Amino acid sequence: MTASNELTRLGPAPDQSGTQPLLELRDLDTDIALRRGTVHALDGVDLQVMPGETLGVVGESGSGKTMTALSIMGLLPPGGRVTGGEIRFEGRDLRSLPADEVRRIRGVRMGMVFQDPLTSLNPTMRIGFQVAEPLRVHQGVGKAEARERAIEILRRVGMPRPERIVDNYPHELSGGMRQRVAIAMALVCSPRLLIADEPTTALDVTTQRQILELIDDLKDEFGMAVILVTHDLGVIAGRADRVAVMYAGRVVETAATGELFRSPRHRYTEALMEALPESAIRDDGAHARLYSIPGLPPDLSQPLTGCRFAPRCRYVTAECRTTEVTLSTGPHQHACLHPVPATAPAPLARTAPAAPSADAGGTPPAADDRTAPASAAEPVAASAAKAVAAEPTAAEPAVAPAAGSAVAEPAAAPILSVRGLVKNYPAGGGLWRRSAGQVSAVAGVSFEVRPGETFGLVGESGCGKSTIGRLVVGLETPTAGQIVLDGTDIATLRGRERRRMHRQVQLMFQDSYAAMNPRMRVDAILAEPLEIQQVGNAAARRARIATLLDQVGLSRRALERYPHEFSGGQLQRIGLARSLALQPRLIVGDEPVSALDVSIQAQVLNLMRDLQQELGLAYVFISHDLSVVDYMADRIGVMYLGKLVEVGPAREVVRAARHPYTQALIDAVPTVTPNAEAARSGIAIRGELPSALNPPTGCRFRTRCPFAQEICETEPPLTGGVHQVACHFPLRPESTASTAGSADGVPAVNAVPSAEAAR
Amino acid sequence: MVRYLITRLGQALVVVLLVTVIAFLILHLLPGGAARATLGKEATLEQLAAFNHEMGYDRPWIQQYGMFMQRLLQGDLGYSYQLNQSVSEAIMQRLPKTMVLSLLSTLLAIVVAIPLGVIQAVRRNRWPDYVITSLSLLAYATPIFFLGLMLIILFSQVWPVLPPEAPQGFTVAEVLSDPAGLVLPTVTLAIVTIAVYSRYVRSSMVDNLNENYVRTARSKGLSERRVVLRHTLRNGLFPVITLLGMYLPALFSGALVVESLFNYPGMGQLFWQAALKRDFPILLGVTLIISIATVVGALLADLLYAAVDPRVRLRRSAS
Amino acid sequence: MTTLSTAANAQPDTGAPTPGEAAEAPLRGMWRQGLIVFCENRLALVGLGLFVLLAGFCFLGPLFYHTDQVHTDLTQVHLAPGEQGHPLGTDGVGYDQLGRMMLGGQTSIVVGLAAGLLATALGTIWGAVAGFVGGWVDAAMMRVVDAMMSIPSLFLFMLLAAIVTPSVPMLILIIGAFAWLGPARLVRGEALTLRSREYVQAMRAMGGTGARAVRRHIVPNAIGTVIVNATFQVADAILYVAYLSFLGLGVPPPAANWGGMLSDGLADAYSGHWWLLYPPGIAIILIVLACNFIGDGLRDAFEVRLRRR
Repeated sequence: MTASNELTRLGPAPDQSGTQPLLELRDLDTDIALRRGTVHALDGVDLQVMPGETLGVVGESGSGKTMTALSIMGLLPPGGRVTGGEIRFEGRDLRSLPADEVRRIRGVRMGMVFQDPLTSLNPTMRIGFQVAEPLRVHQGVGKAEARERAIEILRRVGMPRPERIVDNYPHELSGGMRQRVAIAMALVCSPRLLIADEPTTALDVTTQRQILELIDDLKDEFGMAVILVTHDLGVIAGRADRVAVMYAGRVVETAATGELFRSPRHRYTEALMEALPESAIRDDGAHARLYSIPGLPPDLSQPLTGCRFAPRCRYVTAECRTTEVTLSTGPHQHACLHPVPATAPAPLARTAPAAPSADAGGTPPAADDRTAPASAAEPVAASAAKAVAAEPTAAEPAVAPAAGSAVAEPAAAPILSVRGLVKNYPAGGGLWRRSAGQVSAVAGVSFEVRPGETFGLVGESGCGKSTIGRLVVGLETPTAGQIVLDGTDIATLRGRERRRMHRQVQLMFQDSYAAMNPRMRVDAILAEPLEIQQVGNAAARRARIATLLDQVGLSRRALERYPHEFSGGQLQRIGLARSLALQPRLIVGDEPVSALDVSIQAQVLNLMRDLQQELGLAYVFISHDLSVVDYMADRIGVMYLGKLVEVGPAREVVRAARHPYTQALIDAVPTVTPNAEAARSGIAIRGELPSALNPPTGCRFRTRCPFAQEICETEPPLTGGVHQVACHFPLRPESTASTAGSADGVPAVNAVPSAEAAR
Repeated sequence: MVRYLITRLGQALVVVLLVTVIAFLILHLLPGGAARATLGKEATLEQLAAFNHEMGYDRPWIQQYGMFMQRLLQGDLGYSYQLNQSVSEAIMQRLPKTMVLSLLSTLLAIVVAIPLGVIQAVRRNRWPDYVITSLSLLAYATPIFFLGLMLIILFSQVWPVLPPEAPQGFTVAEVLSDPAGLVLPTVTLAIVTIAVYSRYVRSSMVDNLNENYVRTARSKGLSERRVVLRHTLRNGLFPVITLLGMYLPALFSGALVVESLFNYPGMGQLFWQAALKRDFPILLGVTLIISIATVVGALLADLLYAAVDPRVRLRRSAS
Repeated sequence: MTTLSTAANAQPDTGAPTPGEAAEAPLRGMWRQGLIVFCENRLALVGLGLFVLLAGFCFLGPLFYHTDQVHTDLTQVHLAPGEQGHPLGTDGVGYDQLGRMMLGGQTSIVVGLAAGLLATALGTIWGAVAGFVGGWVDAAMMRVVDAMMSIPSLFLFMLLAAIVTPSVPMLILIIGAFAWLGPARLVRGEALTLRSREYVQAMRAMGGTGARAVRRHIVPNAIGTVIVNATFQVADAILYVAYLSFLGLGVPPPAANWGGMLSDGLADAYSGHWWLLYPPGIAIILIVLACNFIGDGLRDAFEVRLRRR
């Protein structure tokens, strides 16, 4: 990233009044006809994209951000139709041009990258053919030349060995590589505008970083404009010049990126930022309560009047509900009758960056002069740390994890203790062919969870974190190792005792809709755990169910409904209520909020925390999203390819990571602090995740680690006191704070509920 | 891919073995057993006992099955006293002609059904889709022999352009030398097949047209024609290859009816006449051979599918 | 355990249905909802109407329209429709064709229903056992299905019909005993998918047993597929009876069925006795179509996901 690029990004809206916008949407309306009525997906959208700029379009699901992109491209789903307004591209209204002309423009002057790289490529066509197809169709390029140019563009998107890749089929590539192919395909005709619709949502965070950087670099190289559509404020903050925030089919605010994040004006934007978990974490590790936007977005198939956010807004007045609000003029436009005062202290005050400085989250520093997170400086420190770290590792006797935590919290025995857990799956699944090899999903993992504590398990897809969750709740049997629940190894339990074990630990799913029988009413769904465990009689169960609904904040009317009648957030509440039915002491949440929008996610996270404090629950919180885990967890375990590479207090792990992989993960997470991203060079992982079929020997991360040496071929043990790491060259020694006083390392949350939880 | 081949071959082998077991069991479930079946209703008890002893039918079943298999592997399917001909000889005379009829009608069905299915998918839930869907439902609900008779009445009586009877040649060449006579049997057999295939092509194409890669293809500015023909059609047709195999039993059943209706000298007609005369050696022999043909056909279809679809072909070689 | 504090922080959105649905009545049974979807499908209603009409004609018709379907009357052979008080004429042995249609329809419908249901029941049990037990048992059971499926069904039916003397119960047995293969495959596949559904896993994580999974989750979710398939089985069975009759192995006279009447009518096709050919042919087509329409409608009705917006 160049310095000049940086300036444009931080300054106010680039003054380009002299130049014509590349793309201009004027009062665009889009309808989608469905079985039951018409959804007005877009209602009067106005947008401008200048040549060479990146416009970020951000919004929650149903906000119309993807429909905007598809309307521009003319790729609306069946039933979709642009019903009004103009789409002016390079000065011409696409709606008034003949279809063939629009098709040509779409193929040559515009390019689009879609969300899911696994399904966006034709599975039975060679990569080279797919990439070069626009050239052959629109520019009449010959076969041999098309192949050459496909190789060339693949090389430019950073594809290794492009001359071989052109002859491959999509299923032979990883998700990240396929997204590179998709980008190459979009760019092969050197378009003026690239539309990227959630280009990294389906990818792991380290891959996301690679792809976003690639789009940035190519933008400069090709001199094109980019529309980056995403639900992730962090992605936008790091990459866009200007941002448009959408809500319920309308643009509600648009401004230069720095300006928007520094001082949002629309009350929706403000609320959205406050609902981000990272905005609630203070520097001292204490967690503020998330602001959660109540309710749900409006139904766009109904006629709506007034501000569409009004029913959920804290500052709503009668006027808001009746007056149509249009975007204000000027560089910072918003459609709000009672905007956040422009001069007010930035609401991001609470979004203090993750810096270990004494900046106690009080007075907000201007975003520009915020100190970059400590991590930025780490690569330098890391090499120094390497030498130091080797000593304590050697000096310290290999402390068993159990012993380590016993020191930390002598009072409470762990509710869950996992020791040397191993899970292998036969590869291929053939009946007779065990010899085909084994997939090593979990390879010797040990950790403990104490009553009332939240233990976060974080890692990218395929790292084995979900397998651990399934093992702990007894859905799978470990290949080796022990799972000790409340002092009892669950492998020794049989029959009745085994069944009773399930009262202690419950599982919460990512997709609650899939986890509920679609033919059962909510009352039957909630009664099921009680029936299985034969708790109480019918009347007692009904009473218990009523209590559960109260606890998760749902009305009794929900009982007579079926799962498909609820929204995602409501389903997650029902799922939580079901997990609570047996009064377990431990709930394993497998990505419990990953499918939810930010505002709904905040509702569920708050609820989970409230219930934890009230009921003394312990959570194993499994997620790929570091910021959510950081917000929720007291302690965090980081997994890579079946191994736990680092365990420690949440604050320590996130702010003073010791394993290079953890650091790379942290560096890859986009944050809403606009310039932090740019300041970070951090540890970037290159290359691909190795196969779990034949995992690397020794440290499994060594094949991608910038610090790997010969010794890494032997397996590093998990060592340390409270903050343990499995690395021959930890980035830094364990901080004195965490080794010295256990009270400091273990959050105070434990003290209160553990007594209560003991019952 | 290699492992897939081995697995699939092993499966087919097991299935063929099971088919022989079933045939063997049916032979022994017959009232009076195989002897009665071979010698007919008029045979005396002494004759039956002698026959049973001669053929080893008084030995344990396992041993009998071994002998049955041994004879089968030598191509010995028994002897039809009614035709005064060995069963395998009778079958070898008829099998090629049944294959000709099945092949012709399948080719016709493919050629017609694919465009129909594609049109339905592209124009789904509009009148071309409704019309074709109604017609295939109608074709599916009509007994083949009724359908064939309608065609005979139409094209041999009302508008006499085609002969109502199939060619009566002894060899394949003779049969093929009378193409006009082949038209009605082939078309009759093809119509039901078309109904089944076109519904399948339609749903496969609809599934594919809803895939994300089609949207990607459109985003490249390709014409709708190219999107359908170059991108979707291949993927939509791959599953149809396996349908060819799965549909074989129904095809042969259809051939049985069509051959009987048009008096076409194939396996079906042989079987039909044998059924009316209770000629069990023929019935069993034909059933066995037609079943093995089905298994082999399905195997070939699956292998063809594996060979053309890169997702299957390259499954093992990838990383 | 107290609920006070959490009740306080309950979000105002609560369990209220999503906005568009607020107006609908709160109490809706799964079956009623399915019925609504079924009724929205016009073809399904037509199919149901047709089936009821045909069944009424066959079973209630003889109550009002008395004919002698036992004794032949060679003085009244091949009468054209309308002649001598025979609305649909008479056949080659003097039976009244309209009355014969009723009698034949009874056999066709009874055999179709019984054989279709028998096949469905057998197939469901076989497929369910294979799917639930899995492993070796599954592999062995499915190879048996593969093997029997590779014997073309008509050949098998004819072989059996040649062995035994065909009668109505025998036809039901023969067709039912070999048409179960399709349902068996279907149910096994369904059991395998349902077994791995997340709600079954959720139940197992609560300590639930396999028996409960089958009873509360797998059977209720698979039953739709089975019922839908049963209607197609009935349609197929009616066709099979027709084929067997055409091939000379149907129920012997004086019993009748539409398929047999149709194949008898074939012989008359060239002599202009159209009333012997078209009524049974059209009746078969109509009843098979009706079953297929009903099946399609039921498939929609059982598809819960269709009802998710």
